[in-house]
Amino acid sequence: MQYVAEQALNALSIGAEYSLLALGLAIVFSVMGLVNFAHGEFLGVGGYIMYAMALFGAGDIWMILPVCLLTVVITAVLLERVAFRPVRRAPATTGLLTAFGVAIILQNVFLMGVSPRPKAVPAIAVLNTTVDIGSFTFTILQFLEAGVTAIAIVLLVIFMRRTKLGLAMRAAAHDFTTVRLMGVRANRVIATAFAISGFLAGLAAIFFIARRGAIDPFMGLLPVLKAFVACVLGGFGSLPGAVVGGLVLGILEVVLIILLPDFLAGLRDAAVFFIIGAILVGRPQGILGKKAELGDKTA
Amino acid sequence: MDSSRPRRRLWHVEGARTLRSVRGATIIAAFAVGIGLLIMLFGEPYQVRLAVAAYINLILVLGLQIFMGNANVANLAHPGFMGLGAYLTSIFAVPLVIKKTLIPNAPFGLGEVQLGIVSSFVAAVSITGIIAALTGLFLVRLSGIAATILTLAILVIIHGVFVHWVDLFRGTQAFYGIPKVAGIETMMVATALVILVARLFKDSRIGVQLRASATNMLAAESMGVNIRALRLIAWVLGGVVCGIAGALYAYYLGTVNARAFYFHAAFLTLAMHILGGMRSVTGAVVGVVLISVAMELIRHLESGPVILGAQLPDLFGLGSLMLGVIIVLVMCLRSDGLMGGLELDEVLDRYWKRWRRGG
Repeated sequence: MQYVAEQALNALSIGAEYSLLALGLAIVFSVMGLVNFAHGEFLGVGGYIMYAMALFGAGDIWMILPVCLLTVVITAVLLERVAFRPVRRAPATTGLLTAFGVAIILQNVFLMGVSPRPKAVPAIAVLNTTVDIGSFTFTILQFLEAGVTAIAIVLLVIFMRRTKLGLAMRAAAHDFTTVRLMGVRANRVIATAFAISGFLAGLAAIFFIARRGAIDPFMGLLPVLKAFVACVLGGFGSLPGAVVGGLVLGILEVVLIILLPDFLAGLRDAAVFFIIGAILVGRPQGILGKKAELGDKTA
Repeated sequence: MDSSRPRRRLWHVEGARTLRSVRGATIIAAFAVGIGLLIMLFGEPYQVRLAVAAYINLILVLGLQIFMGNANVANLAHPGFMGLGAYLTSIFAVPLVIKKTLIPNAPFGLGEVQLGIVSSFVAAVSITGIIAALTGLFLVRLSGIAATILTLAILVIIHGVFVHWVDLFRGTQAFYGIPKVAGIETMMVATALVILVARLFKDSRIGVQLRASATNMLAAESMGVNIRALRLIAWVLGGVVCGIAGALYAYYLGTVNARAFYFHAAFLTLAMHILGGMRSVTGAVVGVVLISVAMELIRHLESGPVILGAQLPDLFGLGSLMLGVIIVLVMCLRSDGLMGGLELDEVLDRYWKRWRRGG
């Protein structure tokens, strides 16, 4: 029972991390059709800014966290302006490769600026303190991951439903041309999408680094791939889909860790991707995606 | 016979089109092979090795082009098929004595089998084709991003099998003892043939229909184009070409390791493909040449060379940084890739016409 409860919370918190990243990818994709492969590097930006602050003596956690979030948001908006605006009208593969190029640049800036080797970031290790509830043992981090993600999602829903800019973003996901005809600035909508995706990635960065305790230049690749998978699993471009996809992926991973016998442990990733492939072959539009008939106006 | 005349005329048109493709492929292949000949004649041994690596990458990128360039579905599974080609060739071609120490518990009695160089190649490439066909049956049910994710899944699963099926693939340990029979000459011949296949496929009825469906699925389908069947054909053909790249890789290096067939290879060749322009065969050549040369120059810069008498410091990471900058710049300035869907012969024809009109 205790084991089940602990693993359930574990699955939920890992799933929450994937959801945060997947949401960021989905917001940008739904608005401008860009698969932002550089999204994972936002984790790196957050990580290295925390490392730098701790290095220069600003190690107070209440300073570090807001600065980390702010830096990631600024990076995201800046990248949109510099790299992604010129390829806005280009085919999807062009955007993909541009994002890939941006990811390579950021990774090597970390590598040259700091070190190719992993660096420890003990500044936010506080989050890993364990708490006992009854006979169960959890870390603060696990609650934070689940809780903060839930709050972020609620705030996002309020923003998307109650504000004019949110309305414009939801509309842009369907038909950007009409949104612009209504007098909404395209640049503002897209910049907001990037800012939100950066903010969510900043949150994910804090959790991710608190969990691992260390940063390295290439740490963003695997999370972004998984977030990408989560997005498609839930229905690409759909925001609820991204959350569901992230949770399903997190649960799937934890369940497979528990269920697969030791001699098959090496096949865990293959098994995860096999199940994902099977889900997609059965439901090509993703779990929450709407089935679009050929010729329907989408994106 | 009234009805035979239009058919003969159709034959005539098709024949002329095929001739045009063969001519185009010859020009592209001459370009690709010419660079290799120059390096063979004047280059250092390490430059020849680089050229061989570039040719293997080129065959892989051409395999990618056959499916991705025509069907317009981003593909990540191609290093998996390359790995299948390489591993299967090794399993068939390694001498029995070495095989006994490498994979003593090989399943299906493969531990007792040794085939010749050519039959190993044929067997390996055929099995790769069959596996491509099996995965393709599922893949063609999807389109767009979902299809890309499925190719990613195929890559991860194939890699998982390589690493985990120790009895057959030796897991994370290298497979060695493969006869090193392929040199740069073999690579050049193979590259020229694959360029011909890719160009003929692109200009064939299937290729044209497939490209039409990539531009406008609705229009193509309403004209009676069977998109799934065409995609399956392209997928299998592309998989076979990737398998060929893998088999040649094994015959050149003599050793095979699963790490070579994973994300790094996938992203590198994908970058080459998109940078050159994914809708054209020439684009594949241009992308491979450009990135191979750039990577080598940059690698040189990284190790702190002496330029104009000044010792530059070691700049580890600068190389990849520059690669990223090149990719972003090219994509911003020429979003359709360097060739933008044009072939070399089409570009030359255009200049030729302009020159004649001007002169």
